[in-house]
Amino acid sequence: MTRWLLGEFRGPERMLHAARGLRARGFTRMDALTPIPVEEVDEVLELPASRLPLLALVTGVGGAAGAYLVQWFTQAVDWPLDVGGRPFHSGPVFIPIAFESAVLAAAGALFLGVLVACGLPRVTHPFLGVEAFRSASVDGFWVAVVVEDDAREAEAREVLHELGAEHVSRVEEGT
Amino acid sequence: MSEPAPRAPVLEDPLVEHPLLEGRSSDAALGESLLRPVLRPAGWGWWALVGVCSALTLLLCVAIAVTLLEGVGTWGNNIPVAWAFGIINFVWWIGIGHAGTLISAILLLFGEKWRSSVNRMAEAMTLFAVACAGLFPLLHLGRPWKFYYLVPYPSTLRLWPQFRSPLTWDIVAVSTYLTVSVLFWYVGMLPDLATARDTARQTWKRRAWGLLALGWRGSARHWLRWRTGYLLLAGLATPLVVSVHTIVSFDFAVAQLPGWHTTVFPPYFVAGAIFSGLGMVLTLLLPARRVLQLHHVVTDAHLDALARMLLVSGLFVAYGYAQEHFFGWYSGNAEEMHAMSILRTGAYAPGFWLVVACNVLVPQVFWSARMRTSPGVLWAAALLVNVGMWTERFLIIVASLSEDFLPSSWRHYAPTWVDLSLLSGTVGFFGLGFLLFLKLLPPVPISEVKQLQREVEESEAFAREVAAQAGAPGGGR
Repeated sequence: MTRWLLGEFRGPERMLHAARGLRARGFTRMDALTPIPVEEVDEVLELPASRLPLLALVTGVGGAAGAYLVQWFTQAVDWPLDVGGRPFHSGPVFIPIAFESAVLAAAGALFLGVLVACGLPRVTHPFLGVEAFRSASVDGFWVAVVVEDDAREAEAREVLHELGAEHVSRVEEGT
Repeated sequence: MSEPAPRAPVLEDPLVEHPLLEGRSSDAALGESLLRPVLRPAGWGWWALVGVCSALTLLLCVAIAVTLLEGVGTWGNNIPVAWAFGIINFVWWIGIGHAGTLISAILLLFGEKWRSSVNRMAEAMTLFAVACAGLFPLLHLGRPWKFYYLVPYPSTLRLWPQFRSPLTWDIVAVSTYLTVSVLFWYVGMLPDLATARDTARQTWKRRAWGLLALGWRGSARHWLRWRTGYLLLAGLATPLVVSVHTIVSFDFAVAQLPGWHTTVFPPYFVAGAIFSGLGMVLTLLLPARRVLQLHHVVTDAHLDALARMLLVSGLFVAYGYAQEHFFGWYSGNAEEMHAMSILRTGAYAPGFWLVVACNVLVPQVFWSARMRTSPGVLWAAALLVNVGMWTERFLIIVASLSEDFLPSSWRHYAPTWVDLSLLSGTVGFFGLGFLLFLKLLPPVPISEVKQLQREVEESEAFAREVAAQAGAPGGGR
């Protein structure tokens, strides 16, 4: 079971200040939930850079290679067909499809990659059950912090209030 | 707009003539103003337009049914004009799609701030335009139910597609383009679907948008990966736009037919695609801005930028025409010279001069700053560009085919009612798709506009600070 405390702040600066404050008090398992991307929070939460570019590169090259291979096999190996004396392995004319397949493979992988990396699709989430949390996609900047026990919860609650949280809610996930 | 914050004295940037956002409002009010079109019930105007577009879509269904039951013989094309409306409409529609991706992907890569307010609508336009485009080659196959012959699958007949043919390139290019456009559009919309979910008051709307939002919570981890993924998708979509219309131009350029066999076609087609797409963006954006009251986010700055792009791409297109005719003459080849002369003075001259008027002369009015921000002038010009670009594709295909090498086989072309129904039907289908989009999904990227507002405020605050320091005693230069 995971126990969270959610605190709402007005504006990204206060939210960042609160996240830094919580970190200074030894709370490390945190998340920020915001209606717009706040780049500075990545540093506060020490989020590693995404590996999606590597995924796109690998799948893109794989898609191109696969498409080229299919064209070469069908046109030059399995059923060579003489079209106006053109070479069976006609490299340049295989490039358009290889390029398009690279884009298709990379884009498909990126789409799935973004979803998997974000833990989506997930239609229900304990946070979404909190009525006030609806502001997180409108104008509220939230900090979520994992609290292990009652003592830590009380401490985190105090810190959140101290740093200017407008709302503090408690959420439990799992059984 | 409700509760506009008191305006600070803003310092004028001499390079920016118009602000990107009119007035300032709180994030909540801004979000609500952008969601208003989908939250409030539809007006009679929307229903009337849906009625017209549905009737045209029905006409499209009839024309498709006739084509399937009777065959492509019901179309006007025949030897020598074996390609006509099927390919004209395909090239026209897919060209229209390109401006959507251009605005959303290329401008994102270049960090252009003004794209934020218009990209969602432009991308939606792309999707429906590409869907209309894809219909034509499929129907043109004659036996559309055997389209899978174009896919390399291991059949017992050992029948492989001919990958040296540009038509198989087309299939891959168009299906890739449609898929990538859908993914790019949807990924970009995730945060706004969550906003719609959290703002909606009716339970069923909340559930519907909640399902589409896939559980987006705006977590820092979500945003980090989303931004990376979105930027990479833009990076992939950018060369895709250029490649797709280049491949479409190969359908013509690799043939030896006079009027088609020219190296200028790939860049000329890409420029024409962007030009016609911008025309369609303006055609849709201007009425939508007025009806949905989006003047505060789609400002004169956006109209100005779109008009400038229309002018620039129009000049590219004009250069393409000049090149085409110059090389027709410079080749010294009798057939090439004939293919160009029938455009200037022959049977197709009225069409050609219409194209020159619509695509070359009309955009020139946008050298004037006042014209660039006049919605009426822009809309009229956009409509003329749409007409001009369709006619251009008509001439490329029909004029070149009807009078080629052998004068004894020359024959001119006339469309049948099925051809005309297919064209007008796809226009209705496209309009229906766009109307439904405006009603069901957030038409302007909410999170991006909020972010834009924050950035504008920050830069204004910075400018004020600099000015205060410069003006303070002892702090000046």
